[in-house]
Amino acid sequence: MADANTTPYVGRAMKRIEDPRLITGAGTYTDDLRLSGMVHAAILRSPHAHARIKKIDTAAARAIPGVVAVLTGADVNASCGFVPCAASMPDLKAPKHTVLAGDRVYFVGHAVAVAIASDPYVARDAIDAIDVDYDPLPVVANAEDAVKSGSPLTHPDLGTNVAYTHNVSGGGNIDEAFRKADRIVKHRLYHQRLTPMPIEPRGVVASYHAGEGALTLWTSTQIPHLIRTLLPGMIGVPENKMRIVAPEVGGGFGAKLNVYAEEALISHLAMRLHTPVKWIESRRDNASATIHGRDQIGEYEVAVKNDGTILGLKSKTIADLGSYLQLLTPAVPTLTGLVLTGCYKIPAVKMEIVGVYTHKMATDAYRGAGRPEATYLIERLMDVIAQELKIDRLELRLKHFPAPGDFPFPTSCGLVYDSGNYAAALTKAKQLANWDQLLKDRAAARAAGKLSGIGVSTYVEICAMGPSKAMPAGGWEWGCVRMEISAKVTVITGVSPHGQGQETTFAQIVADRIGVPIEDVVVMHGDTAVAHYGRDTYGSRGTAVGGTAIVMCIDKILTKAKILAAHLFETTVDHVVFEKGTFTSPGVTNRVITWPELAGEFYVAKNLPADLEPGLEASSFFEPQNFTFPFGTHIAVVDVDRDTGQVTITKYVAVDDCGPQINPLIVEGQVQGGIAHSIGQVLFEQTIYDEDGQLVTGEFMDYAIPRAHDIPDYILGSTVTPSPVNPLGVKGVGEAGTIGATPAIANAVMDALEPLGITHMNLPLTPEKVWQAIKSKN
Amino acid sequence: MKLSMSSSVAADRARVFAALIDPEVLRRTIPGCETLAATGPDAYEATLKIGVAGLKGTYTGKAAIADQQPPERLTLSFEGKGGPGFVRGSAAIALTADGDATRVDCEADVHVGGLIAAIGSRLVEAAARKLADDFFRQLAGTLT
Repeated sequence: MADANTTPYVGRAMKRIEDPRLITGAGTYTDDLRLSGMVHAAILRSPHAHARIKKIDTAAARAIPGVVAVLTGADVNASCGFVPCAASMPDLKAPKHTVLAGDRVYFVGHAVAVAIASDPYVARDAIDAIDVDYDPLPVVANAEDAVKSGSPLTHPDLGTNVAYTHNVSGGGNIDEAFRKADRIVKHRLYHQRLTPMPIEPRGVVASYHAGEGALTLWTSTQIPHLIRTLLPGMIGVPENKMRIVAPEVGGGFGAKLNVYAEEALISHLAMRLHTPVKWIESRRDNASATIHGRDQIGEYEVAVKNDGTILGLKSKTIADLGSYLQLLTPAVPTLTGLVLTGCYKIPAVKMEIVGVYTHKMATDAYRGAGRPEATYLIERLMDVIAQELKIDRLELRLKHFPAPGDFPFPTSCGLVYDSGNYAAALTKAKQLANWDQLLKDRAAARAAGKLSGIGVSTYVEICAMGPSKAMPAGGWEWGCVRMEISAKVTVITGVSPHGQGQETTFAQIVADRIGVPIEDVVVMHGDTAVAHYGRDTYGSRGTAVGGTAIVMCIDKILTKAKILAAHLFETTVDHVVFEKGTFTSPGVTNRVITWPELAGEFYVAKNLPADLEPGLEASSFFEPQNFTFPFGTHIAVVDVDRDTGQVTITKYVAVDDCGPQINPLIVEGQVQGGIAHSIGQVLFEQTIYDEDGQLVTGEFMDYAIPRAHDIPDYILGSTVTPSPVNPLGVKGVGEAGTIGATPAIANAVMDALEPLGITHMNLPLTPEKVWQAIKSKN
Repeated sequence: MKLSMSSSVAADRARVFAALIDPEVLRRTIPGCETLAATGPDAYEATLKIGVAGLKGTYTGKAAIADQQPPERLTLSFEGKGGPGFVRGSAAIALTADGDATRVDCEADVHVGGLIAAIGSRLVEAAARKLADDFFRQLAGTLT
């Protein structure tokens, strides 16, 4: 209690409440669940990118002792509906994606059959005994090839590989902008396909109570509530008979912001077999059958004056959607269009996005979802413009920043940025990086024949998703705060944190505002039987949207508590003072009422005012009126080894403005993890399918992710520009690192190679690729 | 994937050619071959137990011989599948007299799919070369 009466919890760099159980192995993940009578499923996946299934023979698999059932699409598809896509656009052509393949497979990893056995290893052996006779069909594995006439079709019945075309145009007249330009800067950029690779792959346990007709599904997901909204229509269990639980989730990064075939399939199997069923994804299946991210290729043109003034931006992007639509597949590239202009005043914009089907796994939201693509392209373009016009790249950026007084700032892409002070973040990053010294060091390194580069990225992103009118299935958030009879506080949130730390940050907010020790606050989430409604965790929305719902609950509780306090003081509410957990009424009485007494009165309920309900609990839905727009500046310094092509990050400075920080330690952790993702994207990672549509990066030997020694010591700073969108003023920070860092590091490597006349390379900048580029210039 | 391989067998062309189309010889000389039976003229079915990149698996498949020009050349087409994925392709095999021995040149076009491609494609070429070397060593042993 002493703590609560002294410094506030909010703003403190507190260790996370959830960590002790996680780091001592005491958390419960999906694979930790052991239900009585539970059987295990293994899924046979297609080795072909495109083929007709001529015959499936399951006899040998069924004959294996311990095998309970072996089922194919013909057995289950009619009972499992279609894998849902929540995004819609006017001309979207969508294939029907069943939970197991029908008569055709259309990507390597496409689920073909499922074996269920009493033991997971028997189930795994059983799928090897299933004999599938495939007739290979023509494959298209490259999105640019897919839009050419005569290309094989991903789905012959759609008659085209183009899923949709999305046009963004805004601001002034784009043609006039290009007519008035002194110069058109053109650039082609490829944002490579990535595999999310959370530590914990996906996993599902389903249990059906036939007597009650009720299904419980435990799934490693970010979105238990959205699943509860969408799964009933797939498997025919009503929403109010369905409980979805997200236990501990070992990383999501957008890959678990989805409704997957296995969630419907395993639920159906539990109903069909009258026993609980578990399915745990292997790392190899994770690589081929959990969504991929990014994969956009585009041609960009910027109309500029000789003094650097940007008049307009045109782009044509092809987004590789893979072979079918997951939950938000077609929407992700459109997010790129929304922040195409970055943190700059660009008066006219025209963007065409073509979503294309190929015989590959579906792409969908991956940490940053659309914004890393936009930021990478605009930040690379800013450097290319500066280089072509021979003007300072920081001056070019500063020249196009909206001033603090310009906010709320309407962009040519149709958004209204809530608040910002972009120059302040840039200035602070320069200070932390010791910019002038960096320039001297680079000059000295170059004079000594070394390849040394400095890269900058100034970014803005879209967070706190979002206003319901802009979201496919509502963007509000729900919360509930209850003071128990013991004066302990139970907080229930509709967001579903899985590493973002809201068990801690929400407890900090609640403990301060209610005036109880943080140890007395418990935050519950991720179980629809407890948190009845919610829109879950993605798009850096947890604290900005979910936290605000909690604040609204606290306000209601305090209002109600004051009514009872006034009653007990025999005065009116306006004479009640509430401060740090105690109620007083100066001038009326010397009596002091604390929470234990008041909570007791609320539940014993023998002395309540006539019109006051017993109990002290409140719930709220918060509907945000806008997104929030965090921003910042990242500076990366790299050395490139001339002889090996190896890139070493020697200094990394990030200044991020996510508004007021509830817990700076958690903010720092989110930024660090985000930058690590970017280091992976810039230096190591690329999901590769060969021309036959074979996935050749199916394990960590071929899909490299950064290891501890690849991560430099970060110098992290922040500026604080509150958002007017929510009462906490917070903006969100889950994706910022991933969005700001990729272009900063890429720009640094290109800066290092600039003296050699190398002006652009596609990511990832692996030693081999960099070495080849250096060699080609020797 | 295109593979070019050459080997020398200490026997004359006619004997080498005859061995290459003899199911009984092939069954004994193909590495990991468990069964091999003719299903028609120049057509075979086989079961092979082999490991590629640590992926041990049993593959069942078919092979057919075409374009026979004894004793100079033949074309082998094959397709096999197993737990770790599938292999299919064709190989043009040319026999050239080299003194008392025969040089065998093989130009193969191999496609792999599934797990073999996903986690073993780096190693497929090396594995294929090793299998071919083993095969020709066994074949040479049979003919001497």
